[in-house]
Amino acid sequence: MNKLHVNPAYCKGCLICVEACPTKAITPCKSINAKGYTLPEEDDMRRCTGCMLCETVCPDFAIAIESDEDQGD
Amino acid sequence: MKKHPMLKYLKEEAPAGPRLPLIMCPGCGAGQVLNYALHAVDTLIREDGLRKEDFVFISGVGCSSRLASHYLNFDSGWTLHGRALAVATGALLANPGLKVIVLTGDGDAAAIGGNHFIHACRRNLNMTILCINNGLYGMTGGQVAPTTPIGRTTTTTPYGNVEEEFDLCRLAQTAGAAYVARWSTAHPHQTIKTIIKGIRKKGTAFVEILSQCPVHLKTAPAEMFRDLKKNTVPLKKAGKSEAKGRIPVGVFCDIDKPDWVTRYQEIIGRLERVESTHE
Repeated sequence: MNKLHVNPAYCKGCLICVEACPTKAITPCKSINAKGYTLPEEDDMRRCTGCMLCETVCPDFAIAIESDEDQGD
Repeated sequence: MKKHPMLKYLKEEAPAGPRLPLIMCPGCGAGQVLNYALHAVDTLIREDGLRKEDFVFISGVGCSSRLASHYLNFDSGWTLHGRALAVATGALLANPGLKVIVLTGDGDAAAIGGNHFIHACRRNLNMTILCINNGLYGMTGGQVAPTTPIGRTTTTTPYGNVEEEFDLCRLAQTAGAAYVARWSTAHPHQTIKTIIKGIRKKGTAFVEILSQCPVHLKTAPAEMFRDLKKNTVPLKKAGKSEAKGRIPVGVFCDIDKPDWVTRYQEIIGRLERVESTHE
């Protein structure tokens, strides 16, 4: 299963990734972080197809998807 | 933790401290355009065998222009307001083999640097111009710009803009650019493909990328992203009734014609031949 990595130091909580995700595998976090931003979090990563659209549209280079191949079983 | 794949092209650390996160406001389209440009450059490095040293990024002044020298791990120049294209011309003529990419905003390219923009297109210089068009002057406080759509409320037009907006793609096409396209930040893959084609193109490639300014237009970034997708229409459908009030996006022109450097080298070659016959 693909894994979502969000860098809390870079993410500014614009949530464009959540809007762009075609399968809605990611969702806004229920709580805010120390900077006051709402970060994206995993909703149901079984829906993630690994299209990497969230990585491509991220304005802050904060999000990364670790696919099965990256994890090496 | 896995990092974003494009971070390898960015300066995360500098002698004065960490450079990232980007200085842009949350949800700014400038960061997205940088991401798309780096995806395109990454593809070219992998597929065309180009090296990092073959690229140079030039920018002027404005929100979008903070992107080049500040964050990029490439050769880059942060130049005068509106004069990015003039400096890029110099870089190209000094080393015609360079892949020159100009990161510019609408205020930089269309307002103060309008003349440089027209003449860069007219000369058909071998460079790629990425114009991030958010339709206002973001850095100075959201004032009306030549690219502000008619009727839009900005800080200096509180009751709506009365002026017609500048259509930069039609201007570039008329001025003589070889490759002209318009996309928005809500069209990531189209933008990346267009930038790749633009960099490979011999001649001026002008790519206008419609962008969002969530702070000055007071809308959530995700909503603006959705609106950009909704308010644009492919160029093929531009004349139809569904296109009314929507912005046409797509490739406006893609023509093959000799660029400035080719013509100049032809003259040099001719003179060398004349000289050798006289000897």
